[in-house]
Amino acid sequence: MKVGFIGLGIMGRPMASRLIEGGHELYVHSHKPAPKELTDKGARDFRSGREVASQAEVIITMVPDTPDVEQVLFGENGVSSGLTQGKTVVDMSSISPIATKEFAKRINQLGCEYLDAPVSGGEVGAKQGTLTIMVGGSEKTFARVKPLFELMGKNITLVGANGDGQTAKVANQIIVALTIEAVGEALLFASKAGADPAKVRQALMGGFASSRILEVHGERMIKRTFDPGFRIALHQKDLNLALSSARSLKMSLPNTATCQELFNACAAHGGSAWDHSGMVRALEDLANFEIGSLEQQKGAA
Amino acid sequence: MKVGFIGLGIMGRAMSSRLIDGGHELYVHSHKPAPSELTDKGARDCPSAREVASQAEVIFTMVPDTPNVEEVLFGENGVSSGLTPGKIFVDMSSISPIATKDFAQRINQLGCEYLDAPVSGGDVGARQGTLTIMVGGSEKAFARVKPLFELMGKNVTLVGANGAGQTAKVANQIIVALTIEAVGEALLFASKAGADPAKVRQALMGGFASSRILEVHGERMIQRNFEPGARIALHQKDLNNALVGARTLKLSLPNTATCQELFNACAAHGGSAWDHSAMVRALEDLANYEIGSPKA
Repeated sequence: MKVGFIGLGIMGRPMASRLIEGGHELYVHSHKPAPKELTDKGARDFRSGREVASQAEVIITMVPDTPDVEQVLFGENGVSSGLTQGKTVVDMSSISPIATKEFAKRINQLGCEYLDAPVSGGEVGAKQGTLTIMVGGSEKTFARVKPLFELMGKNITLVGANGDGQTAKVANQIIVALTIEAVGEALLFASKAGADPAKVRQALMGGFASSRILEVHGERMIKRTFDPGFRIALHQKDLNLALSSARSLKMSLPNTATCQELFNACAAHGGSAWDHSGMVRALEDLANFEIGSLEQQKGAA
Repeated sequence: MKVGFIGLGIMGRAMSSRLIDGGHELYVHSHKPAPSELTDKGARDCPSAREVASQAEVIFTMVPDTPNVEEVLFGENGVSSGLTPGKIFVDMSSISPIATKDFAQRINQLGCEYLDAPVSGGDVGARQGTLTIMVGGSEKAFARVKPLFELMGKNVTLVGANGAGQTAKVANQIIVALTIEAVGEALLFASKAGADPAKVRQALMGGFASSRILEVHGERMIQRNFEPGARIALHQKDLNNALVGARTLKLSLPNTATCQELFNACAAHGGSAWDHSAMVRALEDLANYEIGSPKA
């Protein structure tokens, strides 16, 4: 299939690479010239979203935020100006569910299909082709694009109509942030109460409190490894989508709001590029106590 | 072994039953006469905690809260008045880690060992012998009691010294409450934004947001099944232990505090006996919207 790919950052590059390796003809565009690893394999580099759209049948975008998607689609020499009827736009960025519904309508008016298909699983998942992909759009279009999704991911779910993929991604990021915070409060409590946080984590792992977050990020908090991983600045963007959508929808998300404030406190301490598990540091600041510090004292004594 | 068991509620009854089935001699006491399911198997019903302590080598308690443990141990005709050196007292109730350290010291002064060993897993886990048991105390006492723990539970961990078992249990209950709240915010958001919450839960299950809570309580929220399970009133007690402990330790637990407030709001609407997953109802009140409501 003739596939377009716009946005070749940390995520876009390995995703595009897996599509070429899957035997597809690739037409790419980014704000920088395409990396050699893609052009060497035959990807053709174009200077605008418009040219990509006029060459490819399915055009995938993977850019940072809502205004970037708007610019790529509807800006000067954007994708919409190169589309002809029957083509499909697939936005795999994580952006506003509300803006997504509007973008989809405008693309539909050109006689084209739109899928929102944000992912989770990070750079590792992108390289290995094990991303979780949450899709919003019609069943017919989903079926057409599914073979491409299957080159990039493993858990692929058609959640519902346009916007529902982005909504699921926001829900995912709410749970991840709030569970990091939960594990942070629990391990910090245990540690300041004098228990060994590593033993507590181990005791809890089999039971009802167990989660991937307790396993992976609980360990990061104990071992003090806050190299990303997934950067706080990115998770702040996701929680911003949650909170501004919640305001539009007229609903209260109290702990999402608190978690965003804790991320803000991390950023104030130079932590925008810490792994998101570094949220525990804001709790540690409040407690004037660091997880594992009693064990370190005992070790030094 | 001669084993004492004090407190024969829903949990205590099932746990002591497994000890008899495991071949131990059981001496029991409760505020009511012992149930026939235990006495029929040979459990001897004693008139006081003191008598249980004078007969048994290892004495378990399973009672609701910190003041109940204090009463059983140090009240009139309590366990402490019947103890002789070398015996082991094991508190499997979920109570304050700070009070526990004090209770343990007072029992140690009588020449006896103390273990705090709270559980999670509910009445189903108690009946099946699959409880998670989080233990605080000495390695020696833990080793002696371990065969008894293994009749009642599966994940049995010596977390550290006295109080560390209760601390782990509080940590467990913090994570459970806050994850219920997280799943509640996420599914309510998805639902009010117009997506199918069941599909969203399914899409998230394989990924980084997956947990036992998303699986079990996420489903409860979607299917509107709030029959307990674990009652809100009990989880409020646990979060109270967390928040009082945090105040004593000088520690801020912002989302634990919010979750307790949401439980309080449930209680205000008659929900003290709802399953704890019904915390989502307080969020739904705030949003003036219920998960799964038909689209407007």
